[in-house]
Amino acid sequence: MAVQLDAVRRVFDNKHVVIAGMDLRIDPGEFLAVLGPSGCGKSTLLRMIARLAEPDSGRIRTEPNGERFQTAFVFQDAHLLPWRNVLDNTALPLELMGEAKAKRYESARAALEQVGLLEALDRYPGQLSGGMRMRVSLARALVTEPRLLLLDEPFAALDEITRFHLDVQLRELWQRRGMTVIFVTHSVSEAAFLANRAVVLARRGGAIKLDRTLELPAVRNNELRGDPRLGQEMRLLLGAIEE
Amino acid sequence: MVRRTFLKAVPAVGLLTACGRSSRIKLALNWKPEPEFGGFYAAPYSKHGLDVQILPGGAGTPTVQMVGAGSVDFGIVSADEIVLARSHGNDVVALFAVFQNNPFGIMAHASRNLTNIGDVLKEGTIALQSGLPFARLLERKFGFSHVKVVPSPGGDITSFLNDEKFAQQCYLTSEPIAARRKGASVKVFAVSEIGYNPYTTVLAVSGESLRKNPDAAKALVAVVREGWRAYLDDPKAANQQMHQLNSTMDAETFAEVAEVQKPFIETEDTRRSGLGTMSRERWETLIGQFKELGDISRTIPAEECFRVL
Amino acid sequence: MKKTLLPPLIPFIGLTLMAEFLVRQGFVRPYLVPAPSAVFRAMIDSRVELLQALLSTSAGSLAGFALSAFTGIAIAVLLSSSRAVQRAFYPYAIFFQTVPLIAVAPLLVIWFGFGIQTVIASAFVASVFPVIANTLSGILSTDPPLRDLFRLYGASPLATLFKLRLPAALPQVFTGLRVSAGLAVIGAIVGEFIAGGGLGSVVDIARTQQRIDKVFAAVLLASVLGLGLFGLINLLSHLTLRRWHASEQAE
Repeated sequence: MAVQLDAVRRVFDNKHVVIAGMDLRIDPGEFLAVLGPSGCGKSTLLRMIARLAEPDSGRIRTEPNGERFQTAFVFQDAHLLPWRNVLDNTALPLELMGEAKAKRYESARAALEQVGLLEALDRYPGQLSGGMRMRVSLARALVTEPRLLLLDEPFAALDEITRFHLDVQLRELWQRRGMTVIFVTHSVSEAAFLANRAVVLARRGGAIKLDRTLELPAVRNNELRGDPRLGQEMRLLLGAIEE
Repeated sequence: MVRRTFLKAVPAVGLLTACGRSSRIKLALNWKPEPEFGGFYAAPYSKHGLDVQILPGGAGTPTVQMVGAGSVDFGIVSADEIVLARSHGNDVVALFAVFQNNPFGIMAHASRNLTNIGDVLKEGTIALQSGLPFARLLERKFGFSHVKVVPSPGGDITSFLNDEKFAQQCYLTSEPIAARRKGASVKVFAVSEIGYNPYTTVLAVSGESLRKNPDAAKALVAVVREGWRAYLDDPKAANQQMHQLNSTMDAETFAEVAEVQKPFIETEDTRRSGLGTMSRERWETLIGQFKELGDISRTIPAEECFRVL
Repeated sequence: MKKTLLPPLIPFIGLTLMAEFLVRQGFVRPYLVPAPSAVFRAMIDSRVELLQALLSTSAGSLAGFALSAFTGIAIAVLLSSSRAVQRAFYPYAIFFQTVPLIAVAPLLVIWFGFGIQTVIASAFVASVFPVIANTLSGILSTDPPLRDLFRLYGASPLATLFKLRLPAALPQVFTGLRVSAGLAVIGAIVGEFIAGGGLGSVVDIARTQQRIDKVFAAVLLASVLGLGLFGLINLLSHLTLRRWHASEQAE
């Protein structure tokens, strides 16, 4: 799915201009990282793309526009329903869309297998570690086989090792499914590792300071972590942020 | 400037409160200011050099415990409360009985054509303070098997007015007048009909204070007696004072009740021996009734219950 | 078990022994504070009367409490539907909290008559507000991201209410119920002062008879009733929320 933003503008409280006229095109199948200091409007941007918020002026289009529920969102915290087990949490989107129980459990099992949590079906969020909860959140996002996957700093609260692990897993899922991914993050190293294109927003007003296609191999694994090319991209991105 | 005035005021206030604490006499009532306490408000305390503070009461004010515990110097109780209290080791003593005859009664609707107090208990509802001795004597004598017993509404006559078969305990000088005002025609039966007649609205003191300072008690009783004489002769001024404190009763009712209660207060006995007088015979009868009810385990000597000063 | 029962029991035994000593030795007058042994004896002597009264008050408070629970949650759900509805009607809910029950109870008797129905009404008035307030707070404080999630997948407001907001509000609902339970007992007893029956009536009658030992016995039983209800809610809360939070897990 492609996403097109034209002159998108968003203002809070009639005076705080969060995004002042942004033009951006994201092609189908891209893995885009959105970087920038706190308060630069990256989360707002994501929410507008998800249709959870409306721009005050300008337009956001997704192509193709046909079927509903082609967008999935992964939040900063897993935000699972504590009174439901892993399976029911994962199947939630399909349940809300009205799908039959058998079908949605089948899809949920498939999604959980993809994130490697099939044995945790009956467990409750309270019994899981932070990393496991985030994986359930991912599975939940994938259960509707979305064309567009939006993630808002999803791994920020996890320890580094879990984070590295989930980075690899996310990248694999993206490669396998061919969906468009927009990944908001604070972490320059994560953005460089995951994305093939990165956009850096200015401190205020959401202006795009850098829009760069990353010169990195298609296969991203932990070996890349030590590769000088990764460090180079990181320096470029960091430079743009610090300007 | 403020500071200096404050500093000067502190010792002055200290002196005043010290004075107040030693001579201020507290008298606790067991109900709101009404004609039954008229004489206490009419009494010329300051003329005789006494500083008396009257503390109005309400439903459930535990005056007999307050006097026994010493939190007030004098209190208004009824004779039956004194007998019970003494049997529990609470040393309170009666000094002055305002109501020579007990003004408790049962009020019923006249349309029921009842002829005696037992008839009231044959059907319908009766509102009583079930713990009171007269209520239990009624139960003993007539039984409550045909009547529904509910708690006394404490002076409120709304339930009575709404239900023809509703009867309630009352002060003969109070609720019937209010009911007639509201257009109901009532028939009243005095509890003394069944032979239960304790002194009521009795001024009581703790045995300890009486022993320590009998003159103070005697002085107060004398002034109280004067006050009751004054109130019986002309209740207007005291009524006005009480009405300010208790606006739930209007001025007209104050006047009417003050008049209706006179025969309870001024009787042959008081004309002979003075207002507030008490006899040993009456106390002995009362104590005997309590023994019969089983409320007290051993007889209390009547002469310990009261003192005529 | 030992950890929860033993600690509070020790000061209780200590206080009881001290009270017994003070009364026996005459430091405190027995008609002001009864000796614990006298209270105990009153409990034994009047056990039939007290048991009947306890059952009656239990029925009244339980019924009033159940009414509060259902009505309170329903009202909170209604109030949560829109800001306008909340602004218009929430002040009336506060009225239930602030109205002096002892002043309203005689009115309840006039409306409902003398009997257990007034006791239930009184228990209800006393205990409904905490349920409304806590449930409403719980419903309104649902995680915004979770609400976003439900919106993202096109959930109807009703589906969001029953699948998200109400379940999410359960911990706070139980908080409200815990407070409400004790208040229901108090409300029932106030109702009994005016309408008769139950432990309230025992207290009132014993008071006029100057049987302070019996008063204490009845009051003690009323406290036990309140505690029992509280414990019941806690048990229910534990069973329901058992798998939820890490905090619930630790218990």
